[in-house]
Amino acid sequence: MAASNAAATRRKKRNGKPFSKLFVAIHVLIVLLPISVIAVWACADRWQWPLLLPEEFSMRGIEEVLFSSNGQGLAVMGQSIAIAFAVAVLTTIVAAMAARAICNYTWVGRNAYSFLLVVPFLIPTTVFAMGVQVLFIHAGIARTVFGVILAHSICALPYAVTIMIDVTRAAGTRLEDAARTLGAGPLRSFVSTTLPALMPGILSSISMSYILSFSQYFLTLLIGGGAVRTFATVMFPYLSGGDRTIAAAYGISFILATFVVFLIFEWLLRRFGLGKRTDLYG
Amino acid sequence: MKNVSMPAVSRRKFLALTGATGSTVVLGGALAGCSGSSEPASDGEGSDAEIDYTNWDAVLEAAKGQTVSWYGYGGSEPRNEWIESVLTPLLKEKYDITLDLVGMDINDILSQLSGEMQANAEEGTIDFIWINGENFYSAKENGYLWGPFCEYLPNFNDYVDGESADIAYDFGSAVEGYEAPYGKAQMQMWVDSSVIAETPKNPEEFLAFCQAHPGQVTYPQPGDFTGTAFICCLIAGVVGKEEFEKLSMMTDPSEDEVKAIIEPGLEYLRSLNPHLWNQGTTFPADSNTVSTMYADGELVMNMGYGAPQALVDDGTLPETTKSFLFDTGTVGNTNFMAIAANAPHKAAALVAINEVISPEMQLSQYEVLGNMSVLDMEKLDEADRTAFDDVELGVSQLPLSDLLAVRVAEPAGPVVPIIEQIWLDEVVGK
Amino acid sequence: MLKIPRKTRRAIAPYALALPGAVLLFIFFYGVINGVFQGFGIMPFLGRIEFTLDYYIEAFTRSDLSSSIVYSLYLSAVSAVLAIIGGVAISAVMTRARTSRLTRLVNIQIPIMTMHSLVALAVICLFTGSGLFPRLLYHLGIVSDPNTFVSVVGASSGWGIILVYLWKEIPFVAFCTVTIMANISDSLGEAAATLGANPLKTFFTVTLPLCKGAIVKAFLIVFTFAFGSYEVPFLLGPTLPKAMPVLAYIEFQDPDIINRCYAMALNGIMVLICSLFALVYFIVLQRERKGRM
Repeated sequence: MAASNAAATRRKKRNGKPFSKLFVAIHVLIVLLPISVIAVWACADRWQWPLLLPEEFSMRGIEEVLFSSNGQGLAVMGQSIAIAFAVAVLTTIVAAMAARAICNYTWVGRNAYSFLLVVPFLIPTTVFAMGVQVLFIHAGIARTVFGVILAHSICALPYAVTIMIDVTRAAGTRLEDAARTLGAGPLRSFVSTTLPALMPGILSSISMSYILSFSQYFLTLLIGGGAVRTFATVMFPYLSGGDRTIAAAYGISFILATFVVFLIFEWLLRRFGLGKRTDLYG
Repeated sequence: MKNVSMPAVSRRKFLALTGATGSTVVLGGALAGCSGSSEPASDGEGSDAEIDYTNWDAVLEAAKGQTVSWYGYGGSEPRNEWIESVLTPLLKEKYDITLDLVGMDINDILSQLSGEMQANAEEGTIDFIWINGENFYSAKENGYLWGPFCEYLPNFNDYVDGESADIAYDFGSAVEGYEAPYGKAQMQMWVDSSVIAETPKNPEEFLAFCQAHPGQVTYPQPGDFTGTAFICCLIAGVVGKEEFEKLSMMTDPSEDEVKAIIEPGLEYLRSLNPHLWNQGTTFPADSNTVSTMYADGELVMNMGYGAPQALVDDGTLPETTKSFLFDTGTVGNTNFMAIAANAPHKAAALVAINEVISPEMQLSQYEVLGNMSVLDMEKLDEADRTAFDDVELGVSQLPLSDLLAVRVAEPAGPVVPIIEQIWLDEVVGK
Repeated sequence: MLKIPRKTRRAIAPYALALPGAVLLFIFFYGVINGVFQGFGIMPFLGRIEFTLDYYIEAFTRSDLSSSIVYSLYLSAVSAVLAIIGGVAISAVMTRARTSRLTRLVNIQIPIMTMHSLVALAVICLFTGSGLFPRLLYHLGIVSDPNTFVSVVGASSGWGIILVYLWKEIPFVAFCTVTIMANISDSLGEAAATLGANPLKTFFTVTLPLCKGAIVKAFLIVFTFAFGSYEVPFLLGPTLPKAMPVLAYIEFQDPDIINRCYAMALNGIMVLICSLFALVYFIVLQRERKGRM
């Protein structure tokens, strides 16, 4: 299998697929265009018609992001990343379990359950935010990191479930069943057969949930009650604040921070040998 | 920031670039609003219950060591900077109070507050809030605010004229001691004087100005508070100050009553349309977009509460930026600070609010932020008054006396949405 | 460990697996139902417990409702259709070009992680009358001053809104389809290629039908999102007609608390329309499942 794959890859490389490559390259440029505009604006102060480059550059936006006395810069960033990771892991586990229940078993309520799981897609995330706020305050988990993680997980769940159902279905149960028949314990057979097959989906689900949590504003505000601060809640007033330079500086730092976390994630995967397996997947 | 002096405290939330959460605010907030609390307002109970607030020394004593949270619009960088670098250290040093500034849009603050009130949280998270207009009215009506407290504040008693219309009424609703003034704001317009030599002085000249710069003038869609305030300036100019200020007294206005007063103004606004950006068929949704278009050179005029001095200092706008007013008047309002009914640190909140309205801090805000003071100049001693007079204004700033000379009261809270609806029905695209 | 008969364990297992998800769902619906009630004027905290249809009636009879719904449907339908076409195309060429993971990080993850309002800001910088694009045209001698170029702000065709959605959602659609497409290309595509089918034909006859489920799902997600979110149409949309979520947002802005019930009723109408799509989705899901069995 591996050998034939390698051969296929080589063959494809030789073919070159210039058209496809060009298409992808154009898309990359389109993606980078607005990002670079934001990046330039983060260090521009005045940029009037009809100039193609700013008249006045300034670092005040960047300084505001890095050194604003209230922002507690790195601490807030660290907390946001930690919350987002917790959400990613929690949501993915819940979603993986739900997907397993839906794909591998027949039970009463299965259809309704799988339908309800995706309904949050259709209802803007926060119809529920306010009612939930009261519930959380009663339960004493408002204004706690745990409460914020829980609330974010609810938002991320439909995405994670959709991804996990796809891979769980594709993985099937045959291998795991076979392992069981050969006498392996349930956990062992799961870990050695199904888990590797689920890995691409798990990674997708983790990255999606991570992004959703990291960029969540209103919910964090309500549940966190100002006590739990994340990068998104610190950034938001500036995005709507009318100062383009500062808004752009926050925006670009947000993108960079997320991107760097993904690069590290990527590096860890490679380091632990998972990279190769998932080579083909998004 | 062009709205340096008071953006967030407007009656409405900033209609502005909003973040990832999309309709979040719509729906979430909608829920918030629908579930008010029936708690009575003035239960000052909580940890501070036994304090005698009429004894200022006791308040100072109780406040010592407390951390007080101040919730308000957080998107104005110069203002945040002022609070953090001037006010916060001062409170720490003088009173051992730690000020924690939490930047949020007013709707989100009220959502959070109403959620906490619903849950009957006896001790909330919010101590005091930067607020005004209908947000104040609605928070007060629903018992979210603690008070009356202004009478406890020495600086309020000594330096503020509590009887003046600007302080006693907030967009037409009686303040009754439930909020203390923070600053005054007034509409002004500005242009780049290297491009525009002559600025219009009244609606007539403004029409000529628009004709001279076809497609290069517009205003934010009313509904955005800057847009509403700007058309109010024009309407007031057309119908006259006296007639217009009738709107600020209305408590239960009907559409017909409002229309009867502003009709000539509507006619005038329609006559502007053909010369405006996009021929007046569409208007930018918020003042941020207008500012962007102005900064880039697509528009020749911008407007807002307060001068854009911070932007000039940044270099975002040129040194040749000049503000102007209409002789026929521009609308102004006052923004305030209120204490939450379930505030955990009411004593410290009182001390902090008292400090914000001290002559020194009001002067400092005037110097640094160009904020119009809420103090009664007559009540200040000689030295303080001179200090205010001696403040050197930035190139884009107008003297206080010029502003106050043409100040027109804003319409009462309930009138504003009616004006906006009428504009939508009868002005845009007509 | 308790000795439970294997059969019982097998019967209980799915419920145990489904439980954590169910708990999260419960919390979700708790909030939603709370909100829906308020559209009917039920606000226990204000002491209002009377059921009324007034807000819905008011919402349904407002004169600009139908034009707003139509405008929103137009925006979301165009965005969703184009996003699907673009997303599937990107996904296909990426599979074919065997792009590196880094490329994917850039052209799929970056758009997904960038907030809508930020993209809108960039579009404003690029395509207002004085934006960078008309400046480029100016230097090429095509445009003479900032008023010649039709600004993206307030354009009634909504092209700016659609542009923002496409920039964000094309990669999202690709994200939803690229995994399954890579799988297909590995197995079936090889076979088809060996049999001498041309790649384009293989794509339309083999790959696309197999991706149908994922595509339909992605379509619904993009469609309902574009239908229900206010921030982009608020910033870039025309003054009239306003997109449906913008109407609700503006009503919500009114600090009068009772008015927010009206806003909630408008939201209710939106949720209703989205629910219709949910129903369609459910049917599609069922068919898909039956097809598999």
